[in-house]
Amino acid sequence: MTFTGTIGKICNFPLRGIIAFCVRFRVHPNLLTLLGVLVNVVAAGLLAVGRFGSAGLVMLVANIFDYIDGKVARELGQESDFGGFWDSVMDRFSDITLFIGLIILYAELHSTDYVVITALAMMFSVMTSYTRARAESIIVKCKVGFLERPERIVLFMLGAFTNRMAAALWVILVMSVVTVANRIYYTWRELNHSPKVEDRLAAAQLAGEEG
Amino acid sequence: MSVKRVLSFPLLMLWHAFFWTYERATWQYDLWVIAILAFLWLVPPGWLGDPMAHGPGLIGWLRSLF
Repeated sequence: MTFTGTIGKICNFPLRGIIAFCVRFRVHPNLLTLLGVLVNVVAAGLLAVGRFGSAGLVMLVANIFDYIDGKVARELGQESDFGGFWDSVMDRFSDITLFIGLIILYAELHSTDYVVITALAMMFSVMTSYTRARAESIIVKCKVGFLERPERIVLFMLGAFTNRMAAALWVILVMSVVTVANRIYYTWRELNHSPKVEDRLAAAQLAGEEG
Repeated sequence: MSVKRVLSFPLLMLWHAFFWTYERATWQYDLWVIAILAFLWLVPPGWLGDPMAHGPGLIGWLRSLF
């Protein structure tokens, strides 16, 4: 059992109760997704006024909605392609909203450096999702790179709860750049070194030797 | 030629750390999480020019202690 695995199991315990509650009252999963975004807008407002502790708590609530929507959909048998699409789109809104809250805060503090760092972190966070989505339209799977949305959200919350948002933003920025680079390289490699291409090359070589 | 074939062991480790293909809740994942948490909590906010956080951070606190 790993350290992060144990934390995951501990956190899952209360969430199972919330999922059971939503299933019992047949709360529609798409509504949960939407609620998650709306609560994140409140968190962004709190970030914008520098109330990190409260913002952390509100983010925690928002991300409970975000975490359980897929599981509620599965338990209710309401999984759909549109649900997956809706979830992805709403996730991008939530992410960007939080970054905008921080940009407002740093702009009010006249901290141009951190306005730029937050804007770059926002850009690469969106690109992290975009590169995977675009890659998976041409290759089977592109699940590489460390910093995906759950890690990003946990970093946001840790930064808010412990008042270390600047350090969290640096980590989000650097790791998002690395993740985007990972995905571009992986997609290039899959397209250029996939078995299909190699088979064709081997066949061509064999034909050349025979000829 | 594969990148892995031309790298020595330390560089290969670095390659695996950054060219990330592991799942969550693996020991490799744990190592990254610990490194990130250390950066978050040990580095004094002043080093990063943090406009919101104050105080020396854990590294600063340890330096003042010794």
